[in-house]
Amino acid sequence: MTSAAEAPLIATRQLGHAYGEIVALHHLDFTVPPGRIGLVGANGAGKSTLIKVLLGILDPTEGEARVLGIDVAADPIGVRAHVGYMPEESCLPLAQTAADFTVYAAELAGIPTRAARQRASDVLTLVGLHEERFRYLGEFSTGMKQRAMLAQAIVHDPQLVFLDEPTAGLDPEGREEMLALIGRLGGFGINVLVSSHVLTDIEATCDWVIMLDGGRVLRTGPLTGITGSDSVDVELIDGADRVVAALRAKGAEVELRGKLLRIRADDDAFDLIRDVLAETGTGMRRLSQSARTLEDIFLEDGSR
Amino acid sequence: MTTGTPATNGTGTEQGAVFDLGYQPHDGPRLGRRGAFLATVRDGVRRILGIRRKARKKLMPWLLFAIAMLPVIAVVGLSFFTDVLLDAQVGNDNPFAGHPQLFTLTSSVFLIFTALAGPELLIPDRVEGVLSVYASRPMRITDYIGARATALAIAAGGFLVVPQLVMYVGLATLDDDGWFSGLVSNIGDVPKILFASLFYLLAYGAPAFLVGMFAKRLGPAWGVYLAVMLLSTAFAVAISEATSGVGRYAALAALSINPDIVMDWIFDRSTFREGITSAGFGPLWSVGVIVGLGLVSWFVGLRKYRSLL
Repeated sequence: MTSAAEAPLIATRQLGHAYGEIVALHHLDFTVPPGRIGLVGANGAGKSTLIKVLLGILDPTEGEARVLGIDVAADPIGVRAHVGYMPEESCLPLAQTAADFTVYAAELAGIPTRAARQRASDVLTLVGLHEERFRYLGEFSTGMKQRAMLAQAIVHDPQLVFLDEPTAGLDPEGREEMLALIGRLGGFGINVLVSSHVLTDIEATCDWVIMLDGGRVLRTGPLTGITGSDSVDVELIDGADRVVAALRAKGAEVELRGKLLRIRADDDAFDLIRDVLAETGTGMRRLSQSARTLEDIFLEDGSR
Repeated sequence: MTTGTPATNGTGTEQGAVFDLGYQPHDGPRLGRRGAFLATVRDGVRRILGIRRKARKKLMPWLLFAIAMLPVIAVVGLSFFTDVLLDAQVGNDNPFAGHPQLFTLTSSVFLIFTALAGPELLIPDRVEGVLSVYASRPMRITDYIGARATALAIAAGGFLVVPQLVMYVGLATLDDDGWFSGLVSNIGDVPKILFASLFYLLAYGAPAFLVGMFAKRLGPAWGVYLAVMLLSTAFAVAISEATSGVGRYAALAALSINPDIVMDWIFDRSTFREGITSAGFGPLWSVGVIVGLGLVSWFVGLRKYRSLL
């Protein structure tokens, strides 16, 4: 077996799962490196099912999955010893205090009691619940509950944490704070797999993306590679018609949106634009590589 | 990881330092499944007894325990009064009540205790989604079910055994030859107490566990459990007495009578128990029913939680 440090974070081969007649995951093949991974897809795309298969809660009906180099079906306990999980739905016992539950969550992962108490205190401080740690979880607001759920997911120092819709139900401020917390996890040596249907959350926190649609992998790769584009955006001061005509005459594809042009050319688009602007004597305000959002990509690929 | 910039007073003199300790990785030991099992047992005992919970969660279990202790206090107190104050030489044969009578007296309180404890152990975990946390930890289904059953055994077993042992020690102090002699001369009662408690625990705990596995709310679960335990006895007795032949086996479904019969057998008493005794069944039949109930509860639990953990 490859050691956990050398292995890819997650690797699947022809992985599938079906709930009876309903096939939730179809032949998933992907390999992701350590880091912050975004798992995106619409509701019902199979994100939560994939996470449960990777945790060993659900058995694959075909294919295989390896997490941290460990075969999930063969050794689910081995996988769970190294991972944390923040489910989409609440997982908090309402009659317990945040401190007691976080200590218990650490002990459940095998951390000795004294160390569990220390870690629980540290992690609750980290997620911003230090002042509220002796309050009962049933008295917590939605945002505080999400933080407590994150605390239980990382209190045992996992190598990888699965976060299923971590910003669900949060107000904008709470959402920003949760994303900032998730962003910090990488600095602690914790790999993260964040599942979300809010694509901007993934763009804000992740450096690798797995896009699921209808239980199939739509796309997977580094975020910069996926959202990168071969087009260039130019915002003109005036004379857009002249510039468009000149660009098209030189073989470029041009899309005009008011004073903004999106240009795709076979040769270097920047050189071509410079030349055309000089020829037509047109002024510009801004010139940049086009950036596509995950939403653009999802809509493009999903509609194919 | 230790980061931070020491604060100074502007003249370069260091006044103190504030350090953000950040996140500390855990380099110590990990206890694996054994640690998870023990933590689940400890949490279960605390949950049953309301420890580290709000006051209203503590009220019922401790009130019931206090009620279960009342007969012990009465018996030991009366024995002390008779033996020491009236010098009536009660000796080892206590005229007020012995261990079997104490089991009979506490069994109805124990029934209410298990009605509260079984559902309390299982329902909140399932309804509040806490099973997701167990599912992400190095535990198997058998670990979870086994740990919860062990927690019930410790808390409910203690509920039965502690009053008995207090009576055993209390009466030993009144022994004519000294308390130690009293302990030694009645040492044979201890294994009997433990065995009888085990059968009460199985007979009352297994159905409570079963109800807890399926009910979604605590209140209805308590009601269903008490109804099953009390009505099963009434129906079983009625059916067995109204029928003959195969119908007499219905008497064995008297769930709350079976452990009484086993307890009588362990303490070598012959007490007529309506239904089972009159149907002609010996104590081994009751042992079989109780053990079977425990096994059914275990296997139903494994099957039920296979889809949840």
